[in-house]
Amino acid sequence: MSIWEKAKTIDRRIIFLFMFLGVALPLLIRIGLPVSVTNDVKKVYDYIEGLEPGSIVLVSYDHDTGTLPEMLPMSDAILRHLFRNNIKVIGMALRAEGTGIGRQNIRRSGAEFGKIEGEDFVFLGFRPEITAAILGLGTSFERVFPKDDEGIPIRELPMMKDINNYGDIEMVISITDDDTPVYWVNYANARFKVKVVAGLTAVMATTFFPFIDSGQMVGMVAGLKGAAEYEKLIEKRGRAGRGMDAQSIAHLVMIGFIIIGNIAFIMRKRGK
Amino acid sequence: MRRSFPILVCFGFGTIMLAQFFIPSKLSTGAYNEITNWVQIIYAFALIVGVVGLIRYHLSRVSRRQGGWFFNLVTVSSLFMMAFLGFVWGRGDHSPFMWVFNNMMAPMQATVFSLLAFFVASAAYRGFVARNIEAFLLLFSAVMIMFGIASIGNSIPPFSDIANWILMNPSMTARRGIFIGVGLGTIAVSLRVILGVERTYLGKE
Repeated sequence: MSIWEKAKTIDRRIIFLFMFLGVALPLLIRIGLPVSVTNDVKKVYDYIEGLEPGSIVLVSYDHDTGTLPEMLPMSDAILRHLFRNNIKVIGMALRAEGTGIGRQNIRRSGAEFGKIEGEDFVFLGFRPEITAAILGLGTSFERVFPKDDEGIPIRELPMMKDINNYGDIEMVISITDDDTPVYWVNYANARFKVKVVAGLTAVMATTFFPFIDSGQMVGMVAGLKGAAEYEKLIEKRGRAGRGMDAQSIAHLVMIGFIIIGNIAFIMRKRGK
Repeated sequence: MRRSFPILVCFGFGTIMLAQFFIPSKLSTGAYNEITNWVQIIYAFALIVGVVGLIRYHLSRVSRRQGGWFFNLVTVSSLFMMAFLGFVWGRGDHSPFMWVFNNMMAPMQATVFSLLAFFVASAAYRGFVARNIEAFLLLFSAVMIMFGIASIGNSIPPFSDIANWILMNPSMTARRGIFIGVGLGTIAVSLRVILGVERTYLGKE
């Protein structure tokens, strides 16, 4: 059996081992690979940078825990930017699991900047049925969320006193691992003209290029790469930077295996 | 009656929601607000139906000792345990519910998701070969995107440029086509449902 025939039947555990080392080593030994900022991320940063202090931004946690390692660095970076610029944040979730994720995320980031719950940020909780929830917020926040996640009537929260609907907020940021931003675009942007930004898993990014190109979305932060770019923009390197090292090396390992697999395929073909 | 009544309900609500979008008035806005409220209430009941269905399905497998019944038992037990923790101690940041959420559920789900990297690498090695010109184009695009978007390639202009060109031109063109197709298809199917032409959602006769 030639080496190329053997390559065809390589034990997959060898591939797993290389992948494991490719992911684990950069997490243990910091490489610090360069990160260049893309246009779509810069648009989000610039838009938030242009908001007046005291403006209101709605952050919707529309993802589950499976993608948390990819989504959390992104949420952290965006929230740090919002709180640093004294922008008030309304948190909510269109996925049940987003409730626990979002509440903890907003409180942690808020505490980092000394923000007070109820005055500088609120977390409204989870609502099922995406379409009805998004449409309902266009009419009245209070109708969709009569109480916040802690059971406090939202009219009793100082920050929510003058907020009725999308007309009182500057933008919606949907942090998601699926196509929920399409709903935000279709129902919140198209009908109520609210600005929409998506924070996505990398695999979902290509879905949203047409929406940014058409101006229906301000921009997007996609995957760990987008989060690392955002960290660079706010000049606070966090988990995304280190995660990007691991992701880049994992990509290289995968490309290496694809190249070897193709060389083996060609050599086997020649040998026949 | 069992078939014509749902069709009538569907026609009525479909027409109202369609009309209110194009004819804004106090009456149509009121109807719209009311209906979006109902949708959420119906969805909440659908969740209850879902949970009951899930429990019945898994318990029946456990009672019959069908293959993998232990995992069915774990599913039902987990469901009851999380509900119990939530109802008794609440969902506060330091509650047992959140402890299980943060230290069991989140790591387990992330672990399962991260296993994809290993299986994708193995599958790509064996299956991602340039057998013909179409496969070569797919392979070339995938490698360029992976390399050009990953931070190393992203700092090397020819690769980042090629990756961006692929994303912004062929990929976006295809996406636009898909979206337009999906949009037109949705309009067509919606009209068929509203007008009662499409009845498969009612089940068999």
